[in-house]
Amino acid sequence: MPSKHISSPEVFWLSIGELHAKLVAKEFSCQELTKAWLERLEKLGPKYNALAALLRKPSISKAKDIDKELKRDRVRGPLQGIPYGAKDLVSFAKFPTAWGAKPYAGQVFDEHARVVKKLDAAGSICVGKLAMVELAGGGGYRYAAASVNGPGLNPWDTGRWAGGSSSGPGSAVAAGLVPFALGSETWGSIVTPAAFCGVTGLRPTYGLVSRAGAMALSWTLDKIGPMCRSAVDCGIVLAAIAGGDSDDPGSAGKSFYYAPEYVRPNKEITIGYAPRDLELIADREVAKVFADTYAAFREMGFTMKEVALPEMPYSAAASTIIGCEASSIFEDLIASGKVEQLADQNQILGLKASFDYSARDYLKAMRVRRLVQEMFGKLFDGVDVLLAPSRINVASPVAQDMDADAGIVNRGVTLPTRGLRDLSAAGNLAGLPGLSMPCGFAGGLPLGMSVVSRPFQENLILGMGQRYQERTDWHKRRPKVD
Amino acid sequence: MRRRELAWALFAGATVAPAQTTTAADELTARREQVKANGAALAKFEIPMATEPAFAFKAY
Repeated sequence: MPSKHISSPEVFWLSIGELHAKLVAKEFSCQELTKAWLERLEKLGPKYNALAALLRKPSISKAKDIDKELKRDRVRGPLQGIPYGAKDLVSFAKFPTAWGAKPYAGQVFDEHARVVKKLDAAGSICVGKLAMVELAGGGGYRYAAASVNGPGLNPWDTGRWAGGSSSGPGSAVAAGLVPFALGSETWGSIVTPAAFCGVTGLRPTYGLVSRAGAMALSWTLDKIGPMCRSAVDCGIVLAAIAGGDSDDPGSAGKSFYYAPEYVRPNKEITIGYAPRDLELIADREVAKVFADTYAAFREMGFTMKEVALPEMPYSAAASTIIGCEASSIFEDLIASGKVEQLADQNQILGLKASFDYSARDYLKAMRVRRLVQEMFGKLFDGVDVLLAPSRINVASPVAQDMDADAGIVNRGVTLPTRGLRDLSAAGNLAGLPGLSMPCGFAGGLPLGMSVVSRPFQENLILGMGQRYQERTDWHKRRPKVD
Repeated sequence: MRRRELAWALFAGATVAPAQTTTAADELTARREQVKANGAALAKFEIPMATEPAFAFKAY
C-alpha cells in the first residue's frame, strides 16, 4: 500500500459516492488515493493488456489541487478527486493517443477531448489511457488480438476475451484498477465488454455526449459512455459528461440531470421482451440465467409484454453505414497502404473492401435507418423499455475466431418472430440508450442484460438499473485479481 | 451457359477446388462479396419514395 491511510484493498471496490465521502471526511488524501490507483493500474493493468498509457504526472498534479480544495472544505460534487481511466480513443493532451492501432502509435494531440475536460471540471482525475481494439474494430476484426496492446484479457478468466472494442475499460473496471472508465460504442463496443467483464455499462443516446476530441469511426453512430460498477455510478458520470457541444456536429444540444428518484413506480412501467429468443441459446445454463433475470423483473412488479422487431435489414444497414463512413474517415490510411500495419487481417481486408460500397448503398442504409427510427416510435407506444440479453454467450476463448459462433446457437430451432435478437444493431441505428447490467454467471463467467429505452430516457433505464441492483448482488461480485 | 462454358467450369472446378487454400486475395474477395451482400440485402428492401435518409444537413 502506498499510504498508511489506505490500509485495505477494499478501497478499490468502493462506489464513487463512498470514495468521495471518504475524501471529504479526510480518511485519506486525494494524492494518497490517486497514487494507490496509479500503482494498482501500473502493476495489474498489463496482466489484462488493459493499459495503454499511465498518466502519473498529470494525475498527481491534479490530485494536489483537489487536496487544496478539500483542505478549504470546498466540496464540488461526487466526482471530485475520483480517479478514472479513458479508452485510448479519447485524446489526453500531450500524451499518446494511439486508437489501439500501430499506424497511430505515438500520436499526440494538443487538447483534451471534451469528455476529459468535463470530467476535469468535475474534479475527476484521469490516471490512465485504457487499451482498445484497433480503430474500435471498424473493419470487422476476427481475433481478440486485434490491438496494438495485445488481446484484452478477462479478469474472470485470463484465457477469455474482455470483449471489444472497449476492452481496457471493461477489464480495468472489473478488476478494480479504476473506479470507472470511459468507453465508446458504435455497434456493441460498450455493451459487449460490460457483459463479458461483469460491469455496468451505459450507451447514451446518440448526441447526448460530445465526441469532440475522440477518434471517429462512424460520425452518425459513435457514442461515448461510462463503464462503472453500478447503475448509480453510471448516472453520476453521465451527468458530468453529457451536454450540448457546438464542436460536435452530432450533438443533440441536450443536458442530462441525474434524477432516478423521479422514475415511475415499477407497476407503472411496461417492459417489452422476447422470452422465446432464449430457445435459440445452445447453453442451457446461459439461457436459465436470462430466464431468471426476466423472472426477477416480473417479481419486482414490472409489467412484462412480449414484443418482436419487424423484419428489416438491421445488420446490413449498420454494416453499410459503418463501412461507408469508416472508409471515408480512414481513406488516407487505406489508400497509403499503412492499413497493412494493423494487427488483424480481417480488419485490413474489411477496410479495403469498404471502398467498394456505393453512394446508393449508403443512402439506402440511411433510409432504412429512418424506418427503423419510425418503427421504434411505434414499438415504444406499447412499452416503456425493452429488455434483452446484452450478449447471448459468455466471453469467448482469446484465440477463438469470432466469425465462428462456436455452437452458441441452436441451429435446429426456428422461431415464428424476429424477437429482439437484432436489438443491438437496431438500437444503435436508432441512437437509443442502453444499460447493460451483470445478471448472473455461467461456467464462472458473467452475463449481462440490457435495458433499452426511447432516446433521452437515460433516467428511466438508470433508475430501473438501480432498483434491479438494489435487489441483486451480481454487480458486486469480484474476480480474483491479486 | 453454353455446353463449352459448362464443361470449362466443371473442369476448372474439378482441378482447382481440391487444392484450394485461403489466401489474402481470397479473403479480400470474400469481404468484397460481403459488401455486395449487404448492398443486395438493402436493395431488396422496399422503401417508400418519400423516406429520406436519416441525416439532416444543418444550414448555419
